Amino acid sequence: MGKEESPQAARRTTRASCAAASNGEVGRSTITPLHNPTVSDLAFGGEPLSSEDLRSSFPARRPQILELVHLLGPHSSPMLPLFVYGGASTGKTTVILQVFRHLNRPFVYASCRTCYSPRILFESILNQLLLHRKNEANGYSSAKRCEKPSDFVNFLREDVGKVVDSLKDHSGKRKSNKSRRWPKGDILYLIIDNLELVREWDKSSSLLPFLFNLYDILKLPNFALIFVSSSSPDTYYSSMGYIEPIPVFFPEYTEEDLRQLLIRNQANQKLYSCFLDIVLRPFSRVTRRLDELSTVFSSLFQKYCEPLSDTSLFPNDEMKRRLFSHFRPYISPALNEIFWGPSQCLSGIESGKVTRQRGSIRKHEDNEDFTEIGFHMSTAAKYLLISAFLASRNPATLDASLFDSTGGSDNRKRKRKASEKSMEQKETVEQESLMKGPGTFPLERLLAIFQCITSVIDVSIDEEEHGDGFSTDGGNSSWLMSNVLSQLSSLCDANFIAKGGSCPLEGSTRYRCTISEDFALKVARSIKFALPNYLCRR
Amino acid sequence: MLLSLVQSLCSSSLSSSSPTFKSKSALPSSKHSETPPSPSSSHKEPKTAVSPFQPRPHPEAITLPFSRLTGSGSIETREVHSAVAFVSARCEWLLDGKQNKGLKLKRKKTESGLVPTHLALGSCHRGGATSGFTVSEFTPAGKLLVPSGSSSKGLHLHCCCCMEPFTILHKASSRKTDKISTGTGKSRTTRRIDLTASLPASTDISDVNAAESNERHYSNMRMEAFEAVWSITESSIKDVLREANATIFSEIHEWVRDSFDTIVSFGVPNFHEATQPFPVVKDATSKKIFTGLVLTRNLEFVDDLMTFEDLKQHLKSQGCHVANLSSVDFSSRNGVGTCLRSLLGQFLTGSLDTADISMLATWYKEQQNNDNPVVIIIDDMERCCASILSEFIHMLSEWVLKVPVILIMGVATTVDAPRNVLPSNALHRLHARKFTFQSLPEKMNYVVETAFLKQSSEFTISHKTAVFMRNYFAHHNGSVTSFIRALKIACAQHFSTQPLCFILHWCLRDEDNEVPQSHTYGLSQERMLKLACDLPSWKSTSNQITQLSGETLLDGLTQLKKLHKTWRMVVLCLYEAIKGENVQLLDLMCEALDPKGPFGSQFDNGSRVLPRDNSMSQKSHSLEKNKSLINRAIRRVKELPANQLLVLMKAWEKHTVDVPELHSEVKALVLSVLKLEEDGESLNQNKVEMTNTRRQALRGNLNAADKNSRVAYEKASNLVDSMVRKYVCPVECVALHEVLCFDSVDKLQAALIGDTRRRIQIDLQEFHAIIRCSCCSKRGSTILPSMPDSSIMYTLAQEHGDVVNVHDWYQSFKSVVLSTHMVSKRGKSRSKQHPPTPKKRKTTNELSEPSEASIQARFCKAIVELQVTGLVRMPNRRRPDYLQRLAFGS
Amino acid sequence: MAVQSHARDAQNLLRSRLCNPSFVFKALSGSPDSNYSKLKFILSSSVTEACNNSLLLLGPRGSGKTAVLELVLNDLLEEYPDMISVIRLNGLLHNDDNCAFKEISRQLCMEHHLLFSKMASFDDNSQFLIAMLRECGLAHKTIVFVLEEFDLFAQGKQRLLYSLLDAMQSITSQAAVIGISCRLDADQLLEKRVRSRFSHRKLLFLPPSTEIIERLLQHILLLPMDSTLPNDYATQFNTKLESVLADERFKEILKNYLSSSSTINHLLRFLFVAVSSIDVKSGYPSLDNFKTALSSFRRQPKQECIKDCSILELYILTCIRRLESKEQKSYNFNSVMKEYKSIHDQFQTSDDYARNVCLRAFERLLQRDLICFSDNRGQGQSVEFRPVKCLISHFELQEGIKAYRSCPIILTKLLDR
Repeated sequence: MGKEESPQAARRTTRASCAAASNGEVGRSTITPLHNPTVSDLAFGGEPLSSEDLRSSFPARRPQILELVHLLGPHSSPMLPLFVYGGASTGKTTVILQVFRHLNRPFVYASCRTCYSPRILFESILNQLLLHRKNEANGYSSAKRCEKPSDFVNFLREDVGKVVDSLKDHSGKRKSNKSRRWPKGDILYLIIDNLELVREWDKSSSLLPFLFNLYDILKLPNFALIFVSSSSPDTYYSSMGYIEPIPVFFPEYTEEDLRQLLIRNQANQKLYSCFLDIVLRPFSRVTRRLDELSTVFSSLFQKYCEPLSDTSLFPNDEMKRRLFSHFRPYISPALNEIFWGPSQCLSGIESGKVTRQRGSIRKHEDNEDFTEIGFHMSTAAKYLLISAFLASRNPATLDASLFDSTGGSDNRKRKRKASEKSMEQKETVEQESLMKGPGTFPLERLLAIFQCITSVIDVSIDEEEHGDGFSTDGGNSSWLMSNVLSQLSSLCDANFIAKGGSCPLEGSTRYRCTISEDFALKVARSIKFALPNYLCRR
Repeated sequence: MLLSLVQSLCSSSLSSSSPTFKSKSALPSSKHSETPPSPSSSHKEPKTAVSPFQPRPHPEAITLPFSRLTGSGSIETREVHSAVAFVSARCEWLLDGKQNKGLKLKRKKTESGLVPTHLALGSCHRGGATSGFTVSEFTPAGKLLVPSGSSSKGLHLHCCCCMEPFTILHKASSRKTDKISTGTGKSRTTRRIDLTASLPASTDISDVNAAESNERHYSNMRMEAFEAVWSITESSIKDVLREANATIFSEIHEWVRDSFDTIVSFGVPNFHEATQPFPVVKDATSKKIFTGLVLTRNLEFVDDLMTFEDLKQHLKSQGCHVANLSSVDFSSRNGVGTCLRSLLGQFLTGSLDTADISMLATWYKEQQNNDNPVVIIIDDMERCCASILSEFIHMLSEWVLKVPVILIMGVATTVDAPRNVLPSNALHRLHARKFTFQSLPEKMNYVVETAFLKQSSEFTISHKTAVFMRNYFAHHNGSVTSFIRALKIACAQHFSTQPLCFILHWCLRDEDNEVPQSHTYGLSQERMLKLACDLPSWKSTSNQITQLSGETLLDGLTQLKKLHKTWRMVVLCLYEAIKGENVQLLDLMCEALDPKGPFGSQFDNGSRVLPRDNSMSQKSHSLEKNKSLINRAIRRVKELPANQLLVLMKAWEKHTVDVPELHSEVKALVLSVLKLEEDGESLNQNKVEMTNTRRQALRGNLNAADKNSRVAYEKASNLVDSMVRKYVCPVECVALHEVLCFDSVDKLQAALIGDTRRRIQIDLQEFHAIIRCSCCSKRGSTILPSMPDSSIMYTLAQEHGDVVNVHDWYQSFKSVVLSTHMVSKRGKSRSKQHPPTPKKRKTTNELSEPSEASIQARFCKAIVELQVTGLVRMPNRRRPDYLQRLAFGS
Repeated sequence: MAVQSHARDAQNLLRSRLCNPSFVFKALSGSPDSNYSKLKFILSSSVTEACNNSLLLLGPRGSGKTAVLELVLNDLLEEYPDMISVIRLNGLLHNDDNCAFKEISRQLCMEHHLLFSKMASFDDNSQFLIAMLRECGLAHKTIVFVLEEFDLFAQGKQRLLYSLLDAMQSITSQAAVIGISCRLDADQLLEKRVRSRFSHRKLLFLPPSTEIIERLLQHILLLPMDSTLPNDYATQFNTKLESVLADERFKEILKNYLSSSSTINHLLRFLFVAVSSIDVKSGYPSLDNFKTALSSFRRQPKQECIKDCSILELYILTCIRRLESKEQKSYNFNSVMKEYKSIHDQFQTSDDYARNVCLRAFERLLQRDLICFSDNRGQGQSVEFRPVKCLISHFELQEGIKAYRSCPIILTKLLDR
């Protein structure tokens, strides 16, 4: 979430990267890790960051930075636990890290996203305390094996003690070695990021209270805690008790902030601001998340610049008008689009290959299959899918009337029945469908419907597909074969049919068809099956 | 090990249903294992399999019997069955929800046609493997996956069918074959065995041992012949499919390169930064993961397993670090840890007790070359558990700057699939790009072309078979893999049934000059000739030649080869003509193969008289109505624009190289077309030189063109007509075609298509057909106590409704069983020859009443069998004393 | 310059005071009827007369139970060196008996320089505990068991409590069990066999009275005259502080703050924020510091959430509200979507977005914890079918929308009717 990187920062990173390259060389020549780790690795490292830099690089975050700096206080002064919260991509993590970089304090960072289980969380924290790096030499094993909170507390006590001692004597003789920047102060900060994920970890929920009480349990003066969470403290009340950490809130960016942030690092800021004048307001009504906006805008801006020969010149009014008129059609589709990948590559980035592919598809023999569905399904699978759709869509009570012995060939009777039904239970069914979505059905019902359908179409299939007058043995004379049932499993895997987990031997597995109606209609069309006649209208 | 495996197989089949049990117990394999099947060992096997630490079965371990299925019988039989039991053991826990291992297994197995069969078998020993996993890609017989209850009988039938080609060969030699004669599957087996085994019997009964060895040698040779022929086909098909993907692969690779460069452009963290736990501070857009959505455009993703494997190899060869994950790793059961572990397992060495992504970063930085991306291929995106996948994506995007990860996700259905699967916040972490694999029909055309038209081995299939395979492909299992497997089974069956099949091998190394050296195949010359003239086609055609000598056979064969070759060539040409409008080559082939069709019937069997033109014309006229592809092709050639015509002719020229007379015609035609085409060339030349002369050059050429275009066109149309008339001679119309052409649809079908529960119901009623039991066959509707328990139970259950009261059921069962003691004499005498399970017990304590306990035990066992075979459902909480019948009237 | 450095040092000092409970509670230890004295009396009795004691320290979180206990224990350890060994357990860490016993024996081993084996079984550990109790009893050494989060030990089979209290019945052993819990009914959680062995002595920690609070303020915030800080700075600092403390507005703020909960830790946090917000430039405390502190604690997360929402999300929230006002008992994305569409059909509002965009907004609301799934069933089902419930009240939403800048008026209308 670090979009607030200033130009200086950019330069710095580039320098860092080339330094990285050189480091890489060293690393290559000697496989051994670069330097033996010391306490100084607990600091952020890199060049120092002046407070002006810090302020300027986060234009929209001044108050939060100030608050954080105040709360962290002068070096080697203890601190009560903090609770930093705010919506996703509001720069919590970045700001904190940069503040620490600025203050050059020793800290340990653990993200509950990367450390997806208590054990890994504990061990990664301990590893950092012990300056232990998982690498090939030690077989990527962590320094200590630690699964239980109790062990963790014990380990933490001793390790933090060690680290603090080394910090102390370093700070004692910091004058002596100016060469390497030792972290300031003798307080060790533990930053736990993405705390909201812990709520999903264990439903036993013993971990959260533990983390929240960690400070009181440890009773270490030189140990400070910072929680970073994307959800507000009141969502933790159940587990926190009343000892709340001190809250620090990162609000979402306002529209002005967004403008500031987006316009930074732009080549032609004037042009971009014109662009923003058009897009920012409508889009910020939908979402104010910087990461989403920036991705959307990056692709939209290209569209915006398309008519321009060189994007460096400053747009005058009529040019703006021209650009806008050219750009207008793109806005509303972009507003209603959330997934950016394929749509991009559809708009011309693609090489000729795919287009040729599509051409071939369109010309294909069983073309309706391809142009509509877009991928291959065997006929049996299609019928199975349709019957599943019917089973999910129609109430089981109507099956008898829809598929009677004559395979539902007499429409009149069926229609009447269906309509009656629909008359009486219209709104309830509608409500039902809204709430429950597609209904579930046992396998037997599915197969029954399948047989009805296929029995109807068998004839037609026969003459349409074997014009050469050969009755194919086994091809479709009996549709219901074990093959069909394996098709079912394929359908399940393709997420067309959801399967309620249950023991197969009990046979009580229930299925649910999750495809949309129009897709079902497409499929039906591709095999010339009159699906609408079989749907009970509501 | 082996023994226990065999036992486990037997006992598991025992647990599935008694008819199967009997048939099984008669197998030589279990005969050879002297120790009686002990339940302990049999139970041990699945249990060990259930333990997750079980090493995955290696494909070698299982394909071994297949490759060595040549020597003396029983050993191999046992090996096959051990393989069966081996995999079946796995399948036990496939059902126990350990899908992942199973799928891993499958992933290995896409190679060997044999194992999956067993897989299916094993799975069904547990009765009705529900659609938790697709066996569909394993093998046709994998189709046994009958959700609630599959016919273990039918299943047995399948395993037989699919093992036939391999097991029979030596069963023929081992003399116990007649004992293996229960179960329709086996009965079919025996029939075939007689067919092959009769031959030595007819020739030399004198010395059995000689016959033995001779026979064994013979079968070996046939096996070799089969392998030779099949390997050629398979390899060529593989190559074609691979090079079909070459372009898309290279495209993917360059995309990977580009995206890697963009990632790097955000700045490369040094070792220290990269191994830090906290994220690198960068721009928001830098957290996007470049993702290639590869549309495989086929619901069945079997074919793509291999494709993705190839893709992996391709990228590896380009230097990327590639890992291959599948939906198995994204199962909701065990969270994101599993997929991380399997991901790291593919890069890191040594055993990891914890897997977190920071290790990956460290590893990546430790690599010698940091200028290659890490590519993660997820085979099947749809079947991943959404939450886990999104979690994984989040994690990756946190680290993407430190570890330049590029995702490639296989999407079976549509581009919208990720949108439906993933939550939006995971979705916007992806920067996706779409790729498209070849559509299935295209693949199919490649396969068919290589398998039947280009392939150097002469093996082909009859029209019926072709039509069947086409329908099977279109209707049931739309995957190239299964098609190839069907072909393989056909080929294998051909070799196992057709005594003269080795001639195919002879065709392979084409020594047209001399007679096939039959004795090298352990077949004496005269026997071969005799067999040859027994062939119906030969009989029907050349009845004037009463006995045929080596020479006649030889030129018969050469004739056959020649005809077949020209046929292939012409079909190719026709296909070339209508390629544009996306015709399925298979359809074209079916039509061209059709012996009773217009083109077949003009050759009255084999002896080739030239048909009268009027008949031809009217025939074609009639054909216009039922629009045949061939006529479409002919028409198309006639109304093709000039330049395309030239291209077509060029193509034909290539195709017809090895048929001189046609080649010359085509050449001539090409020349004429060239003449008409030269204005095109002149145009090109003009392009190079000055432009101002182009106009009149054009004008000059144009009137030249329409002058000689007419000539060229009628030449072309004549050529096409003659080609079709002369050379489209279905192979079945040629003498001796049985040698090359596989024509027994029913066998293939039986091997491919499994039965449903109905099969068991039938078998439970006509069990006497299976256990050749004299009395039961002539019993009417009366229930005899000598019947197998499960049959008794089933017949009793027929009298109830859809729910059966357990108590009543038991009482009636008991009454039936206790009525045995009047008939125990007969029971005993009978139990000599065929001991079915219940009566085995009786022979021991015959006079004493079977105790209540034993009856109850039998009752329970029978019920479990019925449950396992999916005929009844165990009582539920609401109605504890009622069983529910699942399957009704067969 | 000088003032800044002094200010920094002063801040440092105050912060370290605030973070050190034992310093804070020293101030309260004086009076004879304080919990401190009672507790000390009981424990010292059990040390000197070798009588086994068991008692509960009850009181709301952050009322200084542990701190007082620590004070007492430290003092006792000074008075009677190596006659006491303290075993500390925490219900959060050791709530399963096995690991609790392990921990006990570990600490005992460390205390008495014995070798502790991780492999020891449950029985070994319990045996070891009994043995140690006897030994210490013979050596007239008191073992004090401190059980924090006592109520968590009372979950399950209570084997630990039973075996501890049971061991204390024997003459030989000399021990004290002190349970600390914020549940006032903690002793009601005990099983019969445990309760019968438990002496129902309880110490209640009540919220501090105003004068105590004032004493604390003085005690904590005033700089000491005899320290590294120069006298003049300290005096000036103290005078400024006195003036602030005397200020009526300050009292108002404090009352306002403590109204929510008036435990001492609560106060400490407040003071901490205030102190750390002291501007180093000026170098002296002012009333604004306390104001900012108050504002930083006076948060209404829900309101903030609503402020963070985009307008589309507000629309969806409004739709949900409307559905609820229609007494629709359960609703999911689809029904919300229906409502949303109907609104647009009715009023032709400007922002009518595609379904998937709305779905994204819906998921966003879920992430913000403004709505949540009403049941955990149907995990397999996709989001739009799972019924949800709204976590904010109608009033909160109204307030939020009122406070929302540039919010379409239509929303308030829709919400009201």
